[in-house]
Amino acid sequence: MNFELTHDQKVLQSAVRDFVENEIKPIAAKIDEEHRIPDELVAHISEMGFLGSYFPEEYGGAGLDMMSYAILVEEISKACASTGVLVSAHTSLCCNPIYAFGTEEQKKEWLPDLLAGKKIGCFLLTEPDAGSDAGGTTTTYRIEGDEVVINGAKNFITNGGYLGTGIVLASFDRSLKHKGITAFIVDLQSPGVIILKNENKMGIRGSYTTAFALDNVRVPLKNLLGQEGKGFNVAMDTLDGGRIGIASQALGIAEGAFERSVAYAKERKQFGQAISSFQAIQFKLADMYARIETSKLLIYKAAWLKDHKKKFSLESALCKLHASETASFVTKEAMQIHGGYGYIADYEIERMYRDAKITEIYEGTSEIQRIVIAKQLLS
Amino acid sequence: MKILVCIKQVPDMESPFRPNGSATWFDESDLAFRMNEYDEYAVEEAVRLKEQLGGEPEITVLSIGPDRVIEAIKKALAIGCDRAVHILEPEVASREPWQIASIIAAYARDKQFDLLFTGMQSQDRGSAQVGVLVAELLGIPSTTTLVGFAWADGVVTATRELEGGVKGKVRLRTPALVTCQLGLNSPRYPTLPNIMKARKKEITTLQAGELSSEKPLTGSAAFRHPEKKGSGVVLEGSVDELVEKVLVILKDKTAVLR
Repeated sequence: MNFELTHDQKVLQSAVRDFVENEIKPIAAKIDEEHRIPDELVAHISEMGFLGSYFPEEYGGAGLDMMSYAILVEEISKACASTGVLVSAHTSLCCNPIYAFGTEEQKKEWLPDLLAGKKIGCFLLTEPDAGSDAGGTTTTYRIEGDEVVINGAKNFITNGGYLGTGIVLASFDRSLKHKGITAFIVDLQSPGVIILKNENKMGIRGSYTTAFALDNVRVPLKNLLGQEGKGFNVAMDTLDGGRIGIASQALGIAEGAFERSVAYAKERKQFGQAISSFQAIQFKLADMYARIETSKLLIYKAAWLKDHKKKFSLESALCKLHASETASFVTKEAMQIHGGYGYIADYEIERMYRDAKITEIYEGTSEIQRIVIAKQLLS
Repeated sequence: MKILVCIKQVPDMESPFRPNGSATWFDESDLAFRMNEYDEYAVEEAVRLKEQLGGEPEITVLSIGPDRVIEAIKKALAIGCDRAVHILEPEVASREPWQIASIIAAYARDKQFDLLFTGMQSQDRGSAQVGVLVAELLGIPSTTTLVGFAWADGVVTATRELEGGVKGKVRLRTPALVTCQLGLNSPRYPTLPNIMKARKKEITTLQAGELSSEKPLTGSAAFRHPEKKGSGVVLEGSVDELVEKVLVILKDKTAVLR
């Protein structure tokens, strides 16, 4: 057993860290305030290969592994959770299902533009009345010749506002519940794809969260991903991998808040001494660090399992559950350590506190993660 | 054209430094290491020259030290060096500049490098000796603290940073060695695909002891933190308030106004 990163992973970690420190951290507050990641930053992370990390070079990816991807999302999210989820949703929820379920033709058609960042990917599963209950999908499709016609509504779609490439889940017979669902690769520039709104949110404000109407959207039948009626499996498999990405995002948020808390506690003086000399603060830091380290171990283990082609569905739910609850816990304690200053936007902790909460909700709520975990423990 | 870039891996300067057991150097445990900043300029400049010449030059990157220096080497390979030499020396901190330069010169002597790039100095030891010593040992011209570099027809035109903001221009015929200073260029970030490609590049490992057995000419006698002085005070407020506060301090704590 070896808990050290490899030389290559350390090179990657340090390269990403330098990039994030110089190019993302200085504008993280602006991204939050303006509800937008600048196009130049999206272009820059594309050039860096951040949007194609673990896919093979033959499709335009960097050919790295899942561990490297987890490190990438973690490092980005230390400074900016909005950019972290852009990378995570794009990679795990759009590129991954195409890579895992696509035919060779589909991979060659869609992956190069996605992995180069020419298109930003998203995953259109959630609907106004079907969130955790994916089987309740009401978006429908019908086949007309060599085309598929999709109708329905999707919401809370991360990265939707880029109108890039989407994986759309739709049903051909709603009475069949999850057995009626099929996945399609959809060019979101297609006629009938209508943005109803980009949501105004509590946190990850730089990331698009989009509500769509799909009004007679015509898609070539060849864009059917996997098998007809097996879309639910595509969705569940996709979310398994996605959880490692979101757990890494949550870990990054927690680490970012922790680093600032340690620095602040050493610097801030009350009653004539640094507040880090008070046990009340020391206990907080110890608890924060304990949860961060356990989150990291769980995430790296899940990534390691995926890299070694072992079953990782239990571990990905476990790391997502623990890391997201850690992000909320750590940012809350970080704010308490920062006192009044933590509540002020200038101090970044305020943003991290708002950014953390969503990690307990999207890509499977903490309650769903507990169900996934318990089901596997009891099966 | 053959280029050699010599790099050193140094502790991250924001690390908490502690004296080692013999109090002659710093304790390396718990330190994070990275490529010496000035060596990053050296790597970048070499790669830019390679690009200028359509990819023809072959760049070898060399680093001396324990296994961990592979990380600095791999970064240089990911930025664009072609191949690497790792000179294994587990106790690199105990080797002083003369010994390091002798090892590098022994390696480079029969390799016919046209150009050698090094950093101006290391961020940890800061002797600024290794580059110029290598050039002397190889008997080739050198110039230091480059903030500008151009190459044409076998001639290097180097812009040097001198004291007080003065710049000097030096021309050298290759083979030559230059040492690089802040301001020469902005090193690129290694991209993810290039980090992956670097995995396939050749890294040759040599033993330091087989290249040179020169004895040290200098030694580190002691390593300690500077003595603690009273902490500084940051005054805040309007100019009038600041003046008042300074006056109070001068009256109370000094003899200036008495």
